[in-house]
Amino acid sequence: MTSATLALPTAPEPVRPRVLLVGTVLATAATCMAFAGLMGLYLAERSAVIASGAKWLPEGSNIPLTPANMAFGTMLLSAVTMWWAVDAVARNDRQMAYLALGLTIFFGVAVINATSFLYTQMDLAVTSAPGVLIYTITGAHLAMIIAGLVFAAVMTFRTLGGEYSGRDHEGLTAAAVFWFATIAVHSVIWYAIYIVK
Amino acid sequence: MAVTETPPETVEAATEAAPAAPRRQPTGFAAVLGTGDHKVVGRLYIVSGLVFGLGALVLGGLFAVEALDSSSLDVFARDTAFQFFTLSRVGSLFLLAFPLVIGIAMVVVPLQVGARSVAFPRAAAVSYWAWLMGAVLLVASYAINGGPGGGRSTGVNLWIASMGLLVLSILLAAICLATTVLAARTTGLRLSYLPLYSWSVLVAAVMWLFTLPVLFGQLVLLYVDHRHGGRTFGGDSNIYGSIAWVLRNPQVYVIAVPVLGFAADAMATTARTRMGLRPIAQAAIGAFGILGFGAFLQAADKTAIETPVVIGMSLAAVLPILVILAVGGDLFRRGTLRSSTGMVYAGASLLVLLLGVAAGALGSIPALETAGTIFDSGVSHAVILAAVIASLGGLHWWATKIGRQPATDVLGGLAALVMLLGSVTVVVPDLISGIAGDGAELRPDWTGGIEALNVIVLIGVVIVAGGVALALVSLLPLLRRGQDVDRDPWQGQTLEWLTPSPPPLANFDTELPLVVSPEPLVDASEEK
Repeated sequence: MTSATLALPTAPEPVRPRVLLVGTVLATAATCMAFAGLMGLYLAERSAVIASGAKWLPEGSNIPLTPANMAFGTMLLSAVTMWWAVDAVARNDRQMAYLALGLTIFFGVAVINATSFLYTQMDLAVTSAPGVLIYTITGAHLAMIIAGLVFAAVMTFRTLGGEYSGRDHEGLTAAAVFWFATIAVHSVIWYAIYIVK
Repeated sequence: MAVTETPPETVEAATEAAPAAPRRQPTGFAAVLGTGDHKVVGRLYIVSGLVFGLGALVLGGLFAVEALDSSSLDVFARDTAFQFFTLSRVGSLFLLAFPLVIGIAMVVVPLQVGARSVAFPRAAAVSYWAWLMGAVLLVASYAINGGPGGGRSTGVNLWIASMGLLVLSILLAAICLATTVLAARTTGLRLSYLPLYSWSVLVAAVMWLFTLPVLFGQLVLLYVDHRHGGRTFGGDSNIYGSIAWVLRNPQVYVIAVPVLGFAADAMATTARTRMGLRPIAQAAIGAFGILGFGAFLQAADKTAIETPVVIGMSLAAVLPILVILAVGGDLFRRGTLRSSTGMVYAGASLLVLLLGVAAGALGSIPALETAGTIFDSGVSHAVILAAVIASLGGLHWWATKIGRQPATDVLGGLAALVMLLGSVTVVVPDLISGIAGDGAELRPDWTGGIEALNVIVLIGVVIVAGGVALALVSLLPLLRRGQDVDRDPWQGQTLEWLTPSPPPLANFDTELPLVVSPEPLVDASEEK
């Protein structure tokens, strides 16, 4: 049997394969797993220190709640504006899409700013166990925020540039999925690191 | 002022679109460096994996020599033995097994699912180049006295960073492969119709995506810690211990998931019958992937390995392999009882994997006290060897899609049998040493086991090397140009056999076929 002689019925074009969305979901899941691993290490180390009778944060260090809460509140607001951007692109409303995306980027930058300010207030040395863990986790999250913002900006411009249509705005939906995961990770960090301390 | 009129025919000629010049395919270095063709990327992975793998094999051989008499033989100086030990362990997984498995999958999966390309082809190319850079930097870190236990801090930092790069590149490749299967399948090809090899690659890729990011996060943490004195996590010799969960069971099983898919595909094609127990085979492959989830052991100590969950997972991991063997038995019962080189490779890799996973199940029994002994090395060696044998088998089976001509059958079959023998000879003495020996940790020169049995291990390494050499010789025809190479030398059942050999840039020279069953080529031949 030589398959060159085989004649299978021809397939119609696949229906909107949504390759970018699937790829983004997988990448987002992988990113969340990285944070899950880091949080696991953080919680294990913290509970071991506390079980030994010592304090988790070194003497003199503190995590002020005001900038942490501000950052988290801003992050939650950005969820609304990101959803607004996706909705505006779906309706081919160019002005609203730019406005919503601009606000999302503004909120993202504000979170980065608030976290940087928090770093200056913590008085926590990176050489200590809590320091290594907190700076690694929150620093990695800042990187995730930057990646999410760049992704959202690129996808919005590509959508409004005509690569996707209002009906097919897969690119921005993918960016939104990643952004919502960024917010979810932030909520875990906010509670486990900033609130519980 | 004179007015010049342009004749109408000139206007028409000017506005007429010029016929598009045929696009020239890049050749030479440009075709390699700038490629987004999944087949070229896959070949690059395979060749690089084989080159680095030979180095890992030589290193393994040298350790086997050292282990013959650790008191008098000093192949490695005492202060560098640990570095070479870690290079051997990490290299066998990240520089040999992963690139081979990814390389074959990168070539074959898009063909099997009827895709014109892999999803995110440029990302696939980036994954290869990032992996290559990571591999070179990893070796370089050892060359400047870095690596775990290294004497130079910048070298240790470089090792951590290069490991991070390797992990990231593997994750990128996994995203490309999983997305290809999930979102780029041809019309009609449901997940339940997927060729079992593609299904196993999907399961493996998803498991890599769920576990390796945990390793990546840990590496980032180690890097930050080590850069700032390494007081908490990254004490030089502690670095390897904290990532060793990737190299032991159950985590190491995730590299071997495609072994099951390759074996099932090769057996079904060889038996020339439809697979009646396909859903069971799919479930078994999925279960094997899930049972390989070992990321929760990242911060675990010895006692965590002895928890009921880990013991249960280790014991249950044997079942999927037995199921695939049973599915194979059913295929040959209902189909034609015959053999093929792919079938021999499939059998050899399945048996070695079964040996490793069964040993892992045995070792999980706390009373045997094998944790941390040479027994663990035996288990991971078996699993990695199974992945390597299956990859070489995949190279042989899909030779006309990966290379230019079919491989030499007789030599290939012989190579598979020799590697089976060699693998058993390497692994079994380590397992016996782990159980019957003094149960201590590895010796200061990072060898271990009963010295008399280590002679057998060395013989095993030589046999494995011989098997690999035979396999490489059998694969030489892949490099030679051929004419009128058969599209389907095995009378295959799945879409990759519909493409020309070797496949063109967009994979299929005809319209994509409509798939209505798991065996589209069998459907077509029955319709004739």
